[in-house]
Amino acid sequence: MGVSPRSADDSPVHRLNPLTKLVFAVTVTVSAFALTMTWWPLLLFCAAVLPMVIASGTLRKFFPMLLALWVPIALTVYVIQGFFYPETSRVVAEIGPLELKYEGLVFATQTALRIMVLMGGFFLLLLTTRPGALMSAMTQRGMSPKTVYVVSAALQIAPALAGRAQGILHAQQARGLPVKGLRGRVRALVPMAGPLILGALTDVGDRAVAMETRGFGTSRRPTFLTEVPDTAAQRVARTVMGLCALTAVVANVFGVLR
Amino acid sequence: MGGPAALLALCGYTLGAMLTVSGAVAGLPTTTVALLPVAITINIVMGKIVYFSGLPLQLDSIGTVLVGVLAGPAAGAATGALASIVVGMTITPGALPYAVTAALIGFVAGTLARAGWFRRVPTALLAGGVIGVFAGVVSAPITAFVFGNAGGTVGQSAVIATFQAYGNSMLKAASLQGLVADPLDKALTVALALTLLAGLPSGYVHRFPFVQQHRVLAVHRLVPRRT
Amino acid sequence: MIEFRDFSLTYPTGSRPALREIDLVVPRGQICAVVGAEGAGKTTLAGVISGVVPHMTGGNPRGSARVGGRLLAETPPSELVGEVGLVMQNPFNQLSGARFSLREELAFGLENLGVDRAEMIRRVEAVMADLGLTALAGLSPYEVSGGQQQLLAIGSALVMRPAVMVLDEPTSQLDSVGAGLVFDALETLRARGVTVVLFEQRLERPARYADRVLVLDEGRIVADGPPADVLTDPRLAEWGVAPLRYTTAARRAAERGLWEADRPLPVTLEAAADGFAAALKSARTAGGL
Repeated sequence: MGVSPRSADDSPVHRLNPLTKLVFAVTVTVSAFALTMTWWPLLLFCAAVLPMVIASGTLRKFFPMLLALWVPIALTVYVIQGFFYPETSRVVAEIGPLELKYEGLVFATQTALRIMVLMGGFFLLLLTTRPGALMSAMTQRGMSPKTVYVVSAALQIAPALAGRAQGILHAQQARGLPVKGLRGRVRALVPMAGPLILGALTDVGDRAVAMETRGFGTSRRPTFLTEVPDTAAQRVARTVMGLCALTAVVANVFGVLR
Repeated sequence: MGGPAALLALCGYTLGAMLTVSGAVAGLPTTTVALLPVAITINIVMGKIVYFSGLPLQLDSIGTVLVGVLAGPAAGAATGALASIVVGMTITPGALPYAVTAALIGFVAGTLARAGWFRRVPTALLAGGVIGVFAGVVSAPITAFVFGNAGGTVGQSAVIATFQAYGNSMLKAASLQGLVADPLDKALTVALALTLLAGLPSGYVHRFPFVQQHRVLAVHRLVPRRT
Repeated sequence: MIEFRDFSLTYPTGSRPALREIDLVVPRGQICAVVGAEGAGKTTLAGVISGVVPHMTGGNPRGSARVGGRLLAETPPSELVGEVGLVMQNPFNQLSGARFSLREELAFGLENLGVDRAEMIRRVEAVMADLGLTALAGLSPYEVSGGQQQLLAIGSALVMRPAVMVLDEPTSQLDSVGAGLVFDALETLRARGVTVVLFEQRLERPARYADRVLVLDEGRIVADGPPADVLTDPRLAEWGVAPLRYTTAARRAAERGLWEADRPLPVTLEAAADGFAAALKSARTAGGL
């Protein structure tokens, strides 16, 4: 799971306003996709994402998470595009009936690196930000409380349901039912998924009542218990990053860098 | 190489999804708002079960379709888009670019529900097929340009690779794969969503005015059954 | 405070009315318990008082129902905030889900209403102190016990400073420790002068805490009065309510002449013990034993 509910760690990066980290993630992603030099995303990753990760002290969590998700995609893109990239001419190697093509490898490298930047940017945000703080920051910037509600509640209800499922699994295990291994667990999960989900759906009525009796959905302008710290420097940084991203998009669309 | 396609697919789609959400959610009644997180949870839970089972399916939009049917196109679209954001925050950021596809699934489900396609099982399954066609076509640019046609399951990648090997362009290969796999997947998704609906207490749908207004479901679900 | 006049309600899916011809006046500050069998209409009545029925569930009301002078048929729950607080059976379902600590969960309603931040902090801290939640303030609402979650639900309603609190079987899904926590909170409500309507299936707690008990049977109020009268009514079983065991024991004793003739039947354990002790003593002096 990417979200650390109450991480004990603290660093200058953790203390940044969540919006600053969100804008950072978006900016590096957009820049990685905007510029067309093959190795550019790697430079971006090493020069922008990596220093932030190191400063946040989350390197040990960051890399396992990134590699677990990125390596399979990278391998797939190399296999598919290395061998089957359309309209190619330069063949690098022949493996049986398959031809490994230069253009395909270049494209695969670029795509894999871009995805690495996308994932890295967002992992940095998630590893160093409490979801509650991110959500508060979004509401305080004027995002609709209903939208923020849906995301926050989904972040908490999913683990709560998973917890119930876990409880049932343990009970079945205690009764000697085979729930070993992934397949065994799936087989044990399927019959209880129905009742669990139906239960969650019926709970919705009660929850809506509880929310409505506490003033949810009124058009009044909300106030906030937690204040999200922000600084002038961060505001400037966000503007600058936004401008960078915009410039990159414009440059890309008008073909300046091609 | 690359050109604006990848960037446009990424930015345009993300921007579209964000606009959809901000427009759609504000007008929803509280009961629908409370339903959305549960629907997103259903997407995630079923998506995970199916993923680990190794079946060549996705089934990760059951909740989205359910909301589309119960609360209409806007609510369905919001569910899809926000589900992608939640998955992006908890499982993989790779889900974020697909937010628009997810939104479209909910939107089409809601629109077809309003038109009455969900009153009978055969038309409902057909609706699933239609949803699948939209999903397949709209997700193709993301699969092709952002992920270089990787990023799906091994099965999906193999199918795409085959299409590319027969000389199709990347976008065409991704679209063809979507058109082969998605209609079946979404028809099954609809079937499961209907099964869930049938399991809910009869008073439940009364909390959702959309169902009443457009007679979305078969009549026998709406007559009094309470003793 | 609460005033029902000839009020009936039928759900869209129901063939019979869920509430029939309810006439009810609850004065300010009273703790009023409503008992009745499963399906007698308790949850519906709780929903009507808090504005949830019919606004969120559908249903056709007849007659009038008012809280604090406001006609409920014209007031959705979100406009009753500050007037009525509702606590339901399942503690888990009442968590908003959108707040990541107990303190933030308590502030949820105040944030929605746009209450000034300083005032919000003051109220939240005061309620936490009242209910003994201060030590848990930073924990996730999902990692505390069911009883604590139910206290949180009570607190979340209480921060809104309601004149009326509706508690719909607040302890039916809790263990005895959790139930104890909730009923201690009832004393806080009494001290604050809050009007309480407590819906219960079992009679021990109403007997102990309520100023007044109503019995609901098939949507009608069939009995209304002080706990000592209503809970000893011989017709309780006909209404689907199991009488207290010590009341039944005393009644059996009375039938055999083993209960003092002028002593009322007991509705609390203490009264029962006193009664049996007295009966034993008089039997001894009479030389029977």
